[in-house]
Amino acid sequence: MATDFWASSHYKRWIVDRATLKESRSDDLQYVDDPEYLDFFAIFFANVITKLGKKLNFRQRVIATAIVFFRRFYIKNSYCETDPFIVIAACCYVAGKAEESPVHIKNMVAEARLFFSQQPYGVKYFPSDNSKLAEMEFYLVADLECDLTVFHPYRTLLSLCKKESSNDLQTEAGEVGVGVDDGPRYWGSGDGQLELPDDAFQLAWSIVNDTYRSDLCLLYPPHLLAITALYLAVVLHGPTRELLQHQSHSVEATPVHSSPRRSSRQNSSTSSSHSKKPSQDFVAFFAELNISMPLVATIAQEIISLYTLWERYFEDSDHVDSARGTFYGHASAQTQPAVSHSGVSTPVENLEDAQRPHGATPTFLLQVLTRMRENRLSDMAHASSGRHVAVNKMLERTQAAG
Amino acid sequence: MSTKHHLGDSPISYHPSAASGWADHDSPRIRKTSKAGFRPIGEPSSAVKLFFPRDEDDDEAGPASQHKSPASPQIHSEVPAKRARDEGALPAPQPMQVLPSIVRDSLKASIVPKPAGSGDVSVSPAQQSHTVEPDTEGTPRPSSPSGTTCKDLYAIVSQVGEGTFGKVYKARNVITNVHVALKRIRMEAEKDGFPVTAMREIKLLQSLRHQNVVRLYEMMVSNGSVYMVFEYMDHDLTGVLSQTQFSFSEANLKSLCSQMLAGLAYLHRKGVIHRDIKGSNILINNRGELKLADFGLARFYQKRRRSDYTNRVITLWYRPPELLFGATVYGPEVDMWSAGCIMLELFTKKPVFQGNDEIHQLDVIYRILGTPSTERWQGLTALPWYELVKPKDVIHGHFRDLFSRWLSPAALDLAERLLAYDPTQRVTALEALEAPYFKEEQPPPELPVDLSTLEGEWHELETKRERAKKRRKLENGLV
Repeated sequence: MATDFWASSHYKRWIVDRATLKESRSDDLQYVDDPEYLDFFAIFFANVITKLGKKLNFRQRVIATAIVFFRRFYIKNSYCETDPFIVIAACCYVAGKAEESPVHIKNMVAEARLFFSQQPYGVKYFPSDNSKLAEMEFYLVADLECDLTVFHPYRTLLSLCKKESSNDLQTEAGEVGVGVDDGPRYWGSGDGQLELPDDAFQLAWSIVNDTYRSDLCLLYPPHLLAITALYLAVVLHGPTRELLQHQSHSVEATPVHSSPRRSSRQNSSTSSSHSKKPSQDFVAFFAELNISMPLVATIAQEIISLYTLWERYFEDSDHVDSARGTFYGHASAQTQPAVSHSGVSTPVENLEDAQRPHGATPTFLLQVLTRMRENRLSDMAHASSGRHVAVNKMLERTQAAG
Repeated sequence: MSTKHHLGDSPISYHPSAASGWADHDSPRIRKTSKAGFRPIGEPSSAVKLFFPRDEDDDEAGPASQHKSPASPQIHSEVPAKRARDEGALPAPQPMQVLPSIVRDSLKASIVPKPAGSGDVSVSPAQQSHTVEPDTEGTPRPSSPSGTTCKDLYAIVSQVGEGTFGKVYKARNVITNVHVALKRIRMEAEKDGFPVTAMREIKLLQSLRHQNVVRLYEMMVSNGSVYMVFEYMDHDLTGVLSQTQFSFSEANLKSLCSQMLAGLAYLHRKGVIHRDIKGSNILINNRGELKLADFGLARFYQKRRRSDYTNRVITLWYRPPELLFGATVYGPEVDMWSAGCIMLELFTKKPVFQGNDEIHQLDVIYRILGTPSTERWQGLTALPWYELVKPKDVIHGHFRDLFSRWLSPAALDLAERLLAYDPTQRVTALEALEAPYFKEEQPPPELPVDLSTLEGEWHELETKRERAKKRRKLENGLV
């Protein structure tokens, strides 16, 4: 059933472990100077997909699906052997169809060609031929094993939060099965809803958006990402943080010290009944969800390290919908102009000397990608004779097969 | 022409252990893929690498492109994206010395440790790419020729239908001898690639499981085509109603009707509108089980917020009046009208409303059910095409007179509720299952298990062919 995450291919086939991820990058690791660049690729390509998706007027959900397709594809393929730009176009194209926002192949090719030809990408080779995209689409769908239903954290987020005002975040409208019961929870036991101020909810939403800039969507089920985003939002959002601190103080002040968690819940139930509305007990809320909080903490760590990495990634037009600023608002404002403006024209050597340990720009990453491909190709050019034998064998077979 | 032509002549799907049989491939078989039939995650994809060869200026281009062609017979890949890439764009274009990526792949393949005693099992990428490992993820592939590897082969038996987006074949799993239906998805590279209807059907069926909805076992990629692998159903309703050997009892018909409604009730509860209920999309097997099929037009709908859909859905004869009046905002009621048509057809053996075009279709409906009025159908005048297609004269319905020779009073009641003009008055699938026809009136429903005695398999396609043959014979006889 569409709403049953646990029976879905997403859960059964597409949640992988770190080792698998590492294995999937093994080819790339041979050709990249610094493994960290591959993490920058994750940010860079997600940004490319997001921007292209916006050009195509995709809803956030469609963009997210396209990014998940991209990540799933690169579990089985390496950057140095494929052209990520045509893969991106195919991911967007398939995601549009899979999420009921189809784009005509002609428009898709035109938009992608135009967008990729601009700076910083400067991709001039994008095929104008529709059939190339169609062919790539076929390979993509095959590598996706025809599993086109993707679950996203947004639904969990919406079902967990009682929003102060109903805003324009109904982006899930087209979601598979959403009409059924508006998303019954497929996990945990809690049934409460968190009352969050709009901006705190928006923050959680943006954190979810940001998780797509890493491999998190391959590692953890979406509901855990949503809960982690909420958890981070509650901690980071000024007013709710104060509330939280206030609550934890009052917990300490209560006489029942043996079991702080339960006391906090009691505290909330008594206080929320007669005091002002927003003073609900966040700690109790998370406790009652009956999910692994240590796992949530792990994910939170990973999200934070994503932001730490991202802090050293410089792209001209960063997205307004990112929660990055909440983590490192000041820093990016200071460093960004200096690097990203010069980055376009900085020679490779300079970048390597001065910035390699520090950060990356799109231009730099594109150079890295080019070099990876070149290295790989020159590697193959010096192949031992054994490889030619393999080719000939194949040739024979092919001929035998007619 | 035939299935053999499509599937047999380039057996790209290939398993290493079967390598010795490479040249011997004229049987119309295609390879099934493992659980959905693809490489386990983590194993590199090589199909894709065919798309990214670096073979320009290279002698090796020959084998590489030769190699390509069987892999994607429909989609040609003569212009590698790489070529243009190397011509500029990237900061430091260097003359690249290249070998086809295939070289690397085959190298890889030969590096992959083989189970002992596997002999010559080096795989070429194209083979590998469409090869489907048996359902033993993580465990080494059994390589004995008689092992499970061959189990993943289907032999095409015959064509049994024509779906929304491609032909449907009957095929046999050559090891288990279990029959399946293979639906080949037609790709049109020039148009919009992978058909969106196919994508819908795949997504929907992967998420549905019910005894009255056809089961999608898995997806399979072979020979550059995507196949959907379904459970095999011996007949479809159109076919089975057209034959004269076997006739259904009252109780059998009641069972078929209730199974159809149970399937619809499940779909509607899941938020799915089928939008193409008709005889050839209702399948029946020899155990008397009925299942709904062909979800190419189906889609999810929202219970609370109704949105605009196209009204160009549902085969004309089964299309409800609101769609004929141009409604674009509708819900699962459209399926219930079609179900009403099917219910009558079960008894009369023929589609009841056989219009030639939209206007005529309404006319045919009026002649049986009478013309709709605002008393019978409140929203009638507000419908988009009301002025264009509204009834000219008042016709009184004589539905009950017409059908009382076939249907019992309780059956007539239910059919009437299914064929209510006003969609808001139309009975839902769940309500219909509670109707006195099923709950009170004798006899109780009974699965038509005796269908297994019926000779042959009856599908609309065969019925049509049979009819065409007869007609030809008749014409010849006359001449």
